[in-house]
Amino acid sequence: MPDNFESFIQQHRDEFEGPGPSPRVWAALEKDLTEQRQGRVIQLLRKNWFKAAVIAVLMINAAAIFYFTGHKRHQQQELSAIPPDLQEARAYYTTRINAKLQLIDAYPVNELGLDSAARQELQLRNDTYKALEKELKNNPGNERIRAALIRYYQLKLDLLDKILEELQDRHAAPGHTKKQYEVEI
Amino acid sequence: MKASATNLNQTQIAENVIDRCKKGDVRAFHELYNAYAAAMYNICLRMTNNVSDAEDTLQEAFIQVHKHIGKLERDASISAWIKRIVVNHCLNTLRKKKVYFEEVEEVDVMAEDGIDEAQFSWTVAAVKSAIHGLPHGYRTVLNLYLFESYSHREIAEMLGITESTVKTQYMRAKEKVRQIVKQQNVTR
Repeated sequence: MPDNFESFIQQHRDEFEGPGPSPRVWAALEKDLTEQRQGRVIQLLRKNWFKAAVIAVLMINAAAIFYFTGHKRHQQQELSAIPPDLQEARAYYTTRINAKLQLIDAYPVNELGLDSAARQELQLRNDTYKALEKELKNNPGNERIRAALIRYYQLKLDLLDKILEELQDRHAAPGHTKKQYEVEI
Repeated sequence: MKASATNLNQTQIAENVIDRCKKGDVRAFHELYNAYAAAMYNICLRMTNNVSDAEDTLQEAFIQVHKHIGKLERDASISAWIKRIVVNHCLNTLRKKKVYFEEVEEVDVMAEDGIDEAQFSWTVAAVKSAIHGLPHGYRTVLNLYLFESYSHREIAEMLGITESTVKTQYMRAKEKVRQIVKQQNVTR
């Protein structure tokens, strides 16, 4: 049973509350959080600098290809199917890229150290690829677009190889020796 | 803005604020901070007994809130969770200041002879001042029990002492407050 003192506190509980903290607490907190966030980004970049660099190169390359093909689009009006030789190349590269993507996907997301945008960029059928394919359908005879698509496949393969190498160096997946990995590829 | 202790559990924040905080949205975290800062600052001030320590402790506690909010389960009480982080940081601040929560011999603490509460009046200012003047150990136990509504058992776990020690320290703290308030009444 509460005594006089406890009863007094209960009855006047809110009167024991004072004003909140000074604005400088939030200012310091916000500064701290911003520094922490920047630190995390730098740490992530430092940890995955190679992947970040390759992805950046890939994106710049794709942008350059777009720019170039954009100029040529109006020169080619004829519509036809993708040439058989390119279909063959596409099947070959698609199979290899998908096999490597499957291996990468087997690693936990936090181990990959890539955000969703970077992971999206790793996928074969991203916006860059779709646009290139569309360009090729519109301009099937254009050698530059064909070369660009092949170059895109090769760059993507190189990127996936480097990421896999780094992942394997850092942490060999259970039951996956380097030899097994090579056999799978 | 003045805090309301009794309404802490009913503090309303928009439903999506916690979700946005979990995604690292600083603006949402500011909303969360604004909702709880005053009440949490008052806890820090009562526990640490000075403004500078209270502000530093509050800042450190909210950094932890920001860091771990992603782990907060959907059904968990955000106010109880933040409060526990704040209280733990207050205790760490006190430990850094070499405040030890020691075991004491269990004794029956009776009201001191001659203290007749009918003879003097309780006022908020007098009680605040009396609590402010308590030794750190007594004040910590009294604050956690009376103002933060933790049970003797919970306080014992937080401080790493036995429940009976908590009870004894609480009784002694109350007695000390009575004496100080009585003294203030006499000298008035």
